[in-house]
Amino acid sequence: MIDPAHGGDDKGATLGGKLLEKDFTLALARELKKELLARGIPARLLRDTDMNLDVERRAEITNENHAALYVALHAGEPGNGVRVYSSALPPAAAAAGRFLPWESAQGGSLERSRSLIRFVAPALRKKGLRVSVLASPLRPLNNVIAPAIAVELAPGVQQLQETLKMRSTLASAIAEGIAQSRGLPGGRP
Amino acid sequence: MIPRHFQITTGLLLVAILLSGIYIISLRRREEAASLQNLQAATATPSLEGKQERIRVLVAYDDDQALRWRDMDAFMPADRSLRARAVMRAVLAQYLQSPSPHPLGKGADIRTVYLINDNTMVVDTTPQFADGHPPGILLEEFTIASLIETLTANVPGVTKVKFLVNGQERETLAGHVDLMSFYQTSAVDELAKEFE
Repeated sequence: MIDPAHGGDDKGATLGGKLLEKDFTLALARELKKELLARGIPARLLRDTDMNLDVERRAEITNENHAALYVALHAGEPGNGVRVYSSALPPAAAAAGRFLPWESAQGGSLERSRSLIRFVAPALRKKGLRVSVLASPLRPLNNVIAPAIAVELAPGVQQLQETLKMRSTLASAIAEGIAQSRGLPGGRP
Repeated sequence: MIPRHFQITTGLLLVAILLSGIYIISLRRREEAASLQNLQAATATPSLEGKQERIRVLVAYDDDQALRWRDMDAFMPADRSLRARAVMRAVLAQYLQSPSPHPLGKGADIRTVYLINDNTMVVDTTPQFADGHPPGILLEEFTIASLIETLTANVPGVTKVKFLVNGQERETLAGHVDLMSFYQTSAVDELAKEFE
């Protein structure tokens, strides 16, 4: 499940003085979906239009659809490069039974989320991007049952054109990392 | 036909009942006002005793993507919740100056700190704290981490902290970082270490 963060009234950050984060994440999400499909990995977007969708609902839709992976896409300040986040919850054993506590639903998948990052981060570095791997109390990572990560592009003071060019690089690197984490070849066939 | 003296007596009795009713209502209102005043005096004036102290404040520097400890002298009230508010306001004062290492919206402030028990605090912030906060995962995380780390460094024993905005719960600070959950201070300490 690909989550283009923000949307509708929630514009997110403003990149390069004019590009809205909500528009950038949607365009990036569409490219990532294309890249994943090209590698034979089924993918869905949580929103494919400029619509309001609160963070609770994003987690609910992801969980209801039994998504195998959740990738949230963000862009913003400060710095420049790419930051890859997993939840800041303490690792926990997968809970037994059908019900999980909402606020720590991610606990049982945290190790798999971090394992996914161990594939995505090197794929991004291979494209020449500066990558930081961090834990964060970012919503709704804690509420997602599946392995969940967030990727944030920090475009720095680059020109808008550069940021847009970076979008394709980013989409292809994330798809490559996800493919490799599933034992598939990283490159497009 | 009702005798005249009976009509007058009944009329006087009704007037007396009406006047007694009005008097009782006014007495009750006066009593309620007095007890409300006593309650406000008891809750709104915790001990202002305190002294000048050297405190440790964790400050975010956006340009360096770093959190750094700073020592500063400040008047610290003895009351725990006032002390908590004072140390967090010292952090916000750093952010509200110009130039700022981590700019926040004008009017960002701590309204009150509630002690739920010995180790749990709820921090109520002004609307400007969230509404004027620049959106960004790291920017929001820096704000939360610097406030909680400063709190635990100067008010020992706090293990859980939650933030409210103008007395209400909010999903996120500015679209990214969680404001619904109680933060475990030990987990925030781990997060902050990545940037110190």
